[in-house]
This record gives sequence, structure tokens and C-alpha cells, in this order.
Amino acid sequence: MANNSNDLAHQEARLAYKLLAPAAIILLLVALYPLGQVFYTSMTDRVFASGQEPNFVGFDNYRQLLSMRIVELPPQVDDDGNIIRDDDGNIVYERPIQVLPREPRRFRDVWQINLFGTRYLIAASNPAFISAITNTLIFTIISVFLETILGLMIALVVNSNFKGRGAMRAIMLVPWAVITVVSARMWEWMLASSRVGIFNTLLRRFDLIDESIAFLQTSTWQLPSMIAVDVWKTTPFMALLILAGLQLIPNELYEASRVDGASKIRQFFSITLPLIKPSLAVALIFRTLDALRVFDIFQVLLAQSRYSMASYNYFQLINNRAMGMSSAIGVVIFIIIFVFALMYIKALGVDAE
Amino acid sequence: MFFTVSVAAEDVTITVAGGAVGQELEMTERAAEMYMEENPGVIIEVLDTPDLAQDRLGLYLQFFEAESSEVDVYQIDVIWPGDLAEHFVDLYDYGAEDIVDMHFQEIVDNNTVDGELIAIPWFTDAGLLYYRTDLLEKYDLDVPETWTELEETAQIIQDGEREEGNEDFVGFVWQGDAYEGLTTNALEWFASSNAGTIISDDGYITVNNERAVEVLEMAAGWVGTISPTGVTGMAEEDARAIFQGGNAAFMRNWPYAYALGQDPEESAIAGNFDVTTLPAAEDGEPAHTLGGWNLAVSQYSENPEIAADVAMYLAGFESQKMRAIEATMNPTIEELYEDEEVLEAVPFFGELYDVFVNAVARPSTVSAPNYNQVSEYYFQAVHSVLTGQDDALTALEFLELDLQDLTGFEIGEPQN
Repeated sequence: MANNSNDLAHQEARLAYKLLAPAAIILLLVALYPLGQVFYTSMTDRVFASGQEPNFVGFDNYRQLLSMRIVELPPQVDDDGNIIRDDDGNIVYERPIQVLPREPRRFRDVWQINLFGTRYLIAASNPAFISAITNTLIFTIISVFLETILGLMIALVVNSNFKGRGAMRAIMLVPWAVITVVSARMWEWMLASSRVGIFNTLLRRFDLIDESIAFLQTSTWQLPSMIAVDVWKTTPFMALLILAGLQLIPNELYEASRVDGASKIRQFFSITLPLIKPSLAVALIFRTLDALRVFDIFQVLLAQSRYSMASYNYFQLINNRAMGMSSAIGVVIFIIIFVFALMYIKALGVDAE
Repeated sequence: MFFTVSVAAEDVTITVAGGAVGQELEMTERAAEMYMEENPGVIIEVLDTPDLAQDRLGLYLQFFEAESSEVDVYQIDVIWPGDLAEHFVDLYDYGAEDIVDMHFQEIVDNNTVDGELIAIPWFTDAGLLYYRTDLLEKYDLDVPETWTELEETAQIIQDGEREEGNEDFVGFVWQGDAYEGLTTNALEWFASSNAGTIISDDGYITVNNERAVEVLEMAAGWVGTISPTGVTGMAEEDARAIFQGGNAAFMRNWPYAYALGQDPEESAIAGNFDVTTLPAAEDGEPAHTLGGWNLAVSQYSENPEIAADVAMYLAGFESQKMRAIEATMNPTIEELYEDEEVLEAVPFFGELYDVFVNAVARPSTVSAPNYNQVSEYYFQAVHSVLTGQDDALTALEFLELDLQDLTGFEIGEPQN
């Protein structure tokens, strides 16, 4: 009897494996094979669109991309050993290029920080990629935060009962429906550095500025502009996902709480927010992973004047034809996104739902 | 028998990947129509490609990586033949001997890799200074010959025009975005100020020198004064839009902008501007970066013979003459510079002939196959100075290290 049920269990298990096999094979082919291929290419110096035989270089590409050093920047001293100060009494430091290591590769300062009266240089062998990572992270955190807040507000509004609600919901989706490259071109025009651009025209009309602002050319304005475009574009998507969550909340809960005398604010924090958490979590994960891969608006609006991780990858592959290097960048982006996904799953308890 | 007939009856489609800057696309389409009239059975499709050279290269590389037969004829930049030779056929195998002699020898040499003619010259380019004749007259000023004179003249006109109510008026527009175009602009500042040409012809890195620091500081000083702050995001067409709209006194651009600027339907300044040599430093000679495009036939084409014939027709006498007259695109055929119809339509082809034959080449041959990376390091360094992120000395010192690591060349002094 025991034997029999064991056999049955075995049979069932075998059947399960057989049934799973096609899916597993397809998954291997479409996901793991390309990923493995990229990982392998990242260990070579392969040139894009060339018949040249690639050489195996191990982790060289990764070292080139990610090597960082923290170096103390000594102040300049005169012949007597006194620290030189400028007219305002500030310490004059050595020039970074004189203290940064040259071997095994050249390092360049990305940031300078003051800590306990000493100045340190944070230097990278590939400052462009390190800046691309920080650009992308800043872009992701701020844009996803704003999109969530605004998306939640919009979702609450269009979820309430009013005339023309259906039309409102459809109109709300327009920015999201426009192809990104097209909307990026529209924004490029609106953000133009002269009075061709609507923003400069308005700001000057109301005398808020004397000189036109070059939104896409000045480094302080580049990231805020990118974030603005992305918030405009993807808030509707966020709102849509949250709206789906809102509609699942049964009306009786609000009625019951009203009877108990709960205020609107109390209702929001005790009923609405906990109940939309699952859909909010899904929306956040979608948007964050999407934002980390941001490519189109950076490529169209900033091209090579400021990179996101993905646009840096593109230019390494296409312009410099460094296929090995760009594969390594792809792997790094993959790992960063993977880490974010894990953090979300842990923090929001998505797997427990 | 039946089979051959049916194949012959079938039209052959040849796809030409060409540029669309200014009137380029229209010109190519018209030459293609001329060819199709003479050769029934061949259909030429013109594929319109991105304006920025590196975006166009990116598109081409994707076709090459896939060994795609989708495009038969490619329009390629003068800086690419060395890099891309493996993807193109040798045009000598398709009868190019007969026509090659009429083209400028320098460009033919540039397009010859290991004895193979990779591409047929189509049009040549050199950076020029466009200036407003009416405004120079209005303020009683001369055409500037040095960079300092340009700064002063541009400033006077800009102040005057803004005072009169045109708040958007600027003195000088050029190509300052972080792309290949900035390399061509900055190379002109460098070469005309005895600061070298990045990497010398004999393979020394000459980019970090005192004159280069001065030159970069000078150019960075233009941004936000005689040039708008937005200039660090401008390419050819952005500069042309401003100049043609009557909102700039001077512009650095290629010859194609001339015909468009003289067209009263397109331009607010038709008849009120002219072109001349670019300014130089007090002790330097004007320098004009050599540009230009060529036609190459894909190795992966299904009909290389017809494709080669199309390429040679498009780059032939008739087509180049039409492009010269209607779109001021410089011919690569020497004879056309003495052609009366051409000279009547575009007088400066004759006056500035020396500029076109003596243009300064980018260091693409000496640094092949790394030229694109060299250029990227260079324009990023220049761009970081223009936008104020780095000081000129630091940018050049790091640029020198990067070029050393990339090419393995020694450091040298610029040759004057």
C-alpha cells in the first residue's frame, strides 16, 4: 500500500517534470542563453560589426569600468612647509592629476569631499560610467517618488464619482500613449534655450529671469529636465495601476468607517493605503526597473553630453564599437537592477501576498 | 530560359542610405530619378538616415553586424573608410578606373584602403565663416580676420541689435554639442592658432600645449557672451536655423547652408550674407576642417554590380553639377570648379577654391581604427571646458593621458 502511493507520487513527479520541460527549455533558450552569451562577450575585447577575432581578457572590462580609489588630496605647501592659502583664506590644494594613480590605469576624480579637515578625492578609472550610474540613480529615485505621489493623487481623483469621469480617465492617459521619442522631441522644443522654447518665453514674459536658461545644455538643469519629462510621461501609467487597486476596495468598508465616525484622512490611511499596497508595490517595481533602464529620453535630449547607464552602453557599443566593454556594462546594469528588484521584494513583502 | 526571362522582367531595387541635412535628401532623390529614367528595371529607394554622423554610423553598424543586404549603397563620412573597409566592395572591380581620375586625388587616396577603392567621392566640405553683409555695413565694421576681431565685431553687433529690440539676437553660432561636429569646430580653433591637430601626421599626441589652453579658454568665453549658452547643444541645423532666421551675425557652417540661406522662401536673410575663410589667431593661418561624404557599395548587397553603377552615377558629373548649383554642395570633380554655370550659381566655389583643396584633415588615418574613440575623448574634453565643468588645463592633461592609453603614441609638440 505504502509502496503503491510512493509509486504514484513518483509517477506524478515524473509527469510534472515532463510537463515542465518545454517551458524550462524555452526559458533556457530565450533568457539564459543570451545572458550567458553577453556574459561571455563581456570577458572579451570583441569589436562590434567586425570580422576581427576577439581575445579573451578576463575581468579587464569590469576593472576598467568599476575601479575606484579614494586618495587624500594634500594642500600645496611653500618652501618653508607652510600651507598656502588664497586671498580668502581658503587652503589651496594640489591639482588632482598630480596625486592620482596612473598605474595600472589612469584615475580621474569624480567627487571631492572634505572630512575632518582633510580633503579626499573619490576617483574612478571610468568617471563617465560612474557618473552615468549616479545620474540614473538620482533620476530613478526622484522621478519614481514624484510619479507615485502624483499618480496616487490623480488616481484618487478619477476614482471619485463625477460627471465625465470616463472621458477624464481616457484623457489622462495621453502622455503615456505618445511614443517616447516623439514626446522627447516635443520637450526638446519646449525646453529650447531661446524664446523658441515655451518655458523660456513664459519665464521671460513674467520677468522671472533676465537671460534664457539653457535647460538641456547646463549641467545643473539637465537632470531636473529629464525628471520633468519622465514625470509628465509616466505619471498616468502609475495612476492607472493605482486606480486598478482602488477599484478593488469594497465601498462597504468606507460606509462602515463613516458610521464609526472616521475622518476622510483616517479612512485614507487605515483603509485605502493598506488595501492598495499590493498594486502600489507592483507599480513601484515596474516603474523603478523601467527608470533604471532609461534610455530614450537621455539619448534624444542629451545624447553624449550626459549619460544614463543605458545610453552610455549604447554609445560604447555603437560609436566606439567596444562590444566586449558594452557587454560588461550590460551585465553591471543587470546586476544593479536585480539588486533593486530583490530589495523591493524584501521590503514590500510581495512574495508573501 | 523561362527562369531567366522572369528574373530579367523583375525590377531590381537598390537602396541608398543617404543624409538628409539641408537639401541632401531631395538632391539624392532627384539624381535617383534621373538614373531610373535612363535605366528602366532599376528602382532606387533612398533611405533617410540620422543627421548626426555618429548616429548614422550606429545605424550602418547594425546593418553590417547582421550582414544585411537591405542597404546596397551607403553614404560614408571621409573619416570612415579605414574603419569600415571590410564591409565594402572594391569599386575597381566594377569599372571605377574610368572615372576615378576626374576626382580630387586627396579624397581618392583617403578612400583607398590596401589598394582597393572603398568609396567614390561624392561631395567635399570645409568649415566656412558665414557673415551678415548688411549688419557689417550698418555698424561700419570689417569682416573679421582674427578670432579677437570676431569676438569684438560680434559683440558690437549683438549689443546694437539687442538694443534695437531683438532680444534673441546673438553674435556667433557654431556646432558645440558633444558630437563629431564639435571635433571639427575645435580642430579649426586649434589649427588656426598653432595648437596642432590633436595627433600629428607622424603619430605624436600634440593636444596638450599652452596654445591649446588659450584657445579653449577663448572658446569657453564665447559661451554666454557672443554665443548663446545653448550653443553647447547645437549641431549644424540648429545653427543654420538661427542664422537663417536673421538672429545671428556670424555662423560657422559647411557650404550646404549657402544655397538654403539665399533662398528667399526659406530664409529671412537672402542676399544679405556672404561666406569667407574662418578667422585665425594673430600669428596663425586660417584652418578649415575637411569634411565630406562618399558612396560605398555594401559587401552584402545582392546586386553589387548595379549598386556600383548607381553609386558611380550619383557621384558622376551630372549629379554633382546639379548638387553644386542647387544645393551648394562642393563637387569632388575638379573640372566643375571651372564650370561657368556652377560658378555663376555659387561664386565662392571659385573664390575659396584654395580653402577646399587645403582643408585640414582630422587625424583619422593616423589613429585608425581608433579614430571614433579619439574624437569622442577630444569632443568630451572640449565640451567639458565649454560648459565650465573642467578648466582647460585639466581637461587637456587628462585627454592626453586617455589618448596615450588608447593609441600608445608618444607625446610631441605641435608642428607649426
